[in-house]
Amino acid sequence: MYVDAEYYKEQLQAKSEMMIMTTRFMMELQKELENKNRELSETHRNIFSSIRFAGMIQGSLLPDAALLGNTFRGAGYRVIQQIAIGGDSVFIKKAGSNIVFGLFDCTGHGIPAAMLSISGSLMLNELMTLMPGAEPAVIVKELNTRLFETFRNYSNSIAHMEGSLFCFSAETRKLSYCGAHAKGLHISNDGAVTELVSGNNAIGEEQESEFESLEFMYKPGETLVLYSDGLTDQFGGEHNKKFTRSRLKKVLAEHADEEAEVLCRTIEEAHREWKNANEQTDDVSFLVINF
Amino acid sequence: MKTPVNYNGFEFQPVYEGSYASAYYNGELGMILCVATEEYIPIEDFKAIFMRMSEMLEEFPARHLVFDKRKLTTFHQPSMEWYFAVWKPQVKPKGLSSHYKLLPDADWFAKAVEAGKNEIYEKYGTAFLEGITVNYRDTLEDVIEELQVPAT
Repeated sequence: MYVDAEYYKEQLQAKSEMMIMTTRFMMELQKELENKNRELSETHRNIFSSIRFAGMIQGSLLPDAALLGNTFRGAGYRVIQQIAIGGDSVFIKKAGSNIVFGLFDCTGHGIPAAMLSISGSLMLNELMTLMPGAEPAVIVKELNTRLFETFRNYSNSIAHMEGSLFCFSAETRKLSYCGAHAKGLHISNDGAVTELVSGNNAIGEEQESEFESLEFMYKPGETLVLYSDGLTDQFGGEHNKKFTRSRLKKVLAEHADEEAEVLCRTIEEAHREWKNANEQTDDVSFLVINF
Repeated sequence: MKTPVNYNGFEFQPVYEGSYASAYYNGELGMILCVATEEYIPIEDFKAIFMRMSEMLEEFPARHLVFDKRKLTTFHQPSMEWYFAVWKPQVKPKGLSSHYKLLPDADWFAKAVEAGKNEIYEKYGTAFLEGITVNYRDTLEDVIEELQVPAT
């Protein structure tokens, strides 16, 4: 056996070499990690650049609010996707002298929701051509069938839309609609804000879902606001709570007389202030029509 | 010579006792257990211990070797290099192909072992490990329990 001093000297030497070797190894690992990190950042930048560009394309597919402004006293809308691209959309189409419009929120957010949203819009466009003058519920029912059959996964569809489709007859001045788990608020001339009546079935969720056409009773001077739940589900405020429908109603009541585009700015500002530094919870959209 | 030791109901007979390590054997498990008894094993003693293990395989045939390093605070990289790249392939034809290591609790020791292995692989490649398994476990009991589970 080694004399103690020599033993400890050798042990110390071995320990020192062990530490040097380990440090060298860790430094190589760190360099490798830094390289990987740089590669990942680059990939992330490329992916996000693509997403931003896709968002621009999706945005360019949205309709012109002036189509509604030509029929009603005023109209405006906002679609603010959570990550540049998403599942919220506004639909506006002239059908002869009539006009069809709606707001839709597709399952999820991001790329899959955007694909679903665009699919839904294309289907709606086609249905408007195939079924001119049809009641909103008939169009929505057909949309439901098409969406379900396109995206079905065994017994349940994985893709669905919520929202409402309105049909305005220039001849009768009647406004009929079909709500599929839709969110909407009606500002009356006396400043009261009431909720839009809507069916509870989403579009594309179940093959046999039923939908109903309702007449929307309005008077000149009143305002309709359609919105997606991304607006009311936004977390924020002093206690990090949801924005909620009641808060939105309060905002609308306080700005009941505003023109559509001004009211859009008001709602947008209220959402932004509430959100503050928080992440946007979901895709946000709203459509305002002054009658 | 030390007295037999018992793990999980298996008796291990003492077969070697040196200044820096002791060894035990269980025929039923086909296992040699080599336990480091000091914080550091100088290279010449390290080689002597394992050459003795190699000789013992004639009398005590074993498929598994468990090297209990939990007392160590320092290892000598040239010893490790010899152990991995020379000794293990040497004893493989004698039937010893399954190696288990029990490391000290300290994270830094495991990291140092990883660094050492990395250097060995860079120098020798990994072909020398063909047909040899090397595993790290927390306790001998874990190793024995694992060996008792029938292979699927």
